[in-house]
Amino acid sequence: MFTFLVRRIIGTIPIVFGVALVVFVLFNIVGGDPALMMVGKHATAQQIADIRREYGLDLPLPIQFLHYLRDIATFDFGRSYATRQKISDMIMNGVGPSLSLTLPAFMLTTVVSVLLGLVVSYFRGKIIDRVAVILCVIGMSISVLAYILFGQYYLAYDLRLFPISGYDYSLTGRFEYLALPILLWLFLSMGSEVRFFRTAILEETSQDYVRTARAKGVSEPRVFLKHVLKNSMVPIVTNVVLEIPLLVLGSFLFENFFGIPGLGSITIDALHNSDLPVIKTMAFVISLLLIFGNIMTDLIYALVDPRVKLS
Amino acid sequence: MSERTAEKILEVKNLETSFRVEEGTVKAVDNVSFDVYAGRTTGIVGESGCGKSVTSLSIMRLIPNPPGWISGGDILYKGKSLLGLTPAEMRKIRGNEISMIFQEPMTSLNPVFTVGNQIIEAIALHQKDLSKKQCREKAIEMLKIVGIPSPESRIDDYPHQMSGGMRQRVMIAMALSCNPHVLIADEPTTALDVTIQAQILELLRGLQEKVGMAMIMITHDLGVVAEVCDDVIVMYAGKVVEQGSVEEIFKNPKHPYTKGLLNSIPTLTKDPTGKVKKNRLETIAGIVPSLLDLPKGCRFQDRCPYVIDACRPVDPELRVIKDDNRLPHAIRCIRDI
Repeated sequence: MFTFLVRRIIGTIPIVFGVALVVFVLFNIVGGDPALMMVGKHATAQQIADIRREYGLDLPLPIQFLHYLRDIATFDFGRSYATRQKISDMIMNGVGPSLSLTLPAFMLTTVVSVLLGLVVSYFRGKIIDRVAVILCVIGMSISVLAYILFGQYYLAYDLRLFPISGYDYSLTGRFEYLALPILLWLFLSMGSEVRFFRTAILEETSQDYVRTARAKGVSEPRVFLKHVLKNSMVPIVTNVVLEIPLLVLGSFLFENFFGIPGLGSITIDALHNSDLPVIKTMAFVISLLLIFGNIMTDLIYALVDPRVKLS
Repeated sequence: MSERTAEKILEVKNLETSFRVEEGTVKAVDNVSFDVYAGRTTGIVGESGCGKSVTSLSIMRLIPNPPGWISGGDILYKGKSLLGLTPAEMRKIRGNEISMIFQEPMTSLNPVFTVGNQIIEAIALHQKDLSKKQCREKAIEMLKIVGIPSPESRIDDYPHQMSGGMRQRVMIAMALSCNPHVLIADEPTTALDVTIQAQILELLRGLQEKVGMAMIMITHDLGVVAEVCDDVIVMYAGKVVEQGSVEEIFKNPKHPYTKGLLNSIPTLTKDPTGKVKKNRLETIAGIVPSLLDLPKGCRFQDRCPYVIDACRPVDPELRVIKDDNRLPHAIRCIRDI
């Protein structure tokens, strides 16, 4: 297990290098002159020259790339063009609000969906199952924006159950502001998740070992909660674990609509302001998180399925 | 066990099991009756789809519903109807009084739990007074009984770390861990290679002699029947077409279908010069009729070499032709051939 982990981490070094190269090429070469993009059309020659010097854009490209690699290694990505804040600080400050929204929302969604998936599969073919599948399809078919607008207008504005938007760093304040987005997230994701888990679980219920368990005299709830659930963990885990690293990024839409100062908001703002250093950093961070997610999936596979050997 | 002391332990009476399919309702098991005695083995023989597995799953009340259900008849265990039991009462019977082993040892064990965990689960379910440690000891003992070498360490193996024969031994250990009175073996050796088959049958017979349980052996392999069974029931398209003691069925088969089955066993004979000659393998012409589209009258008529016009209009009743055994020799055929 440990050697596997070390090997995988060493193995990511060339991947990270490749990602850095692609991001660099995209932003510094393919995307046009970065200095011009940042300062806009009406800048003077002096302004452009200043920007070039500040971000090292006057240096030859290979040197620029080496500098970029150095930035990555030291986790120092310079300053934002729009806000002049250090980008590493911006990321650090944004992670908290993002995770405060996504982590509880994600965990709640996963637990509720797996449980509902189990219940629905237990009643397979019965009326509960059919109604649930129809509700799932309806839930999946409605746009995210509809959920957000409905929640903000009816639940927050009309019924005054929640604040409309905003964020507070204190624990209770956080909960107050995040309750509505978390709830909407749950209903938004449940449709597809329950349907997916239902399929994954039903796939297992027709297996021979389920019949064996029943023939032993195991009760139905135990058949589902012990025998079926652990086997359906493999597809469930694949689906779930890949999402975990992306939780750090928050949700672009939710953070934007609810005024949550997380990484999602930071990214959207950076896009608005053509804040190239920030966008470039975020692109790199997202790739890094995906690589990390893949390693985690492999590790968790081995935990839920004894047939998987990490070597 | 001698004929006189053998106790009737399971009675299947006019069992009917139906399935709802898209095109309508089919009776996969139609009016099947037989008795099972302690210490004896009843074989149920037939082609795929003849209803033999459905019969065994009906006894366990494990017919998946929907689409299937027991639509008629009764199953008596020690004189008490199993069909009248609540699900909780039935669970106390399953794995405890009546156990079952299955055809596919590769998939019948749960791949994500150790074999020990799965055997212990059965023991803990039905022997609640045993401590965790005692359950584990009992599981190790069972593995030893079924002939798994170094059971103390193999108990923590996962099914994928074992061969097919070993897994079937584990299945047997699990099924017998609560000393059941009836063991239903649904094609236990079909998926195994021949040498392992013989070992598993030997094991089952030895264990049966030791504990005196009744066994129902479901198979399409007449070699297995000859090896282990005392009584035989031949099924065709959901109905019993011939029944009798194993000697009667093999020496004196009366139903054309049974004759056909026996003729489909590959044989070798020596010609006068002493050279081994491979005989042409006989087959039963045609295919099993769809349960949705059964012929009127005898269900075997379209494949029967002895068919006469009288076979077409009415489905014959099972008639006794020789009543000198515990299981009278009876056939569902109007002809004497």
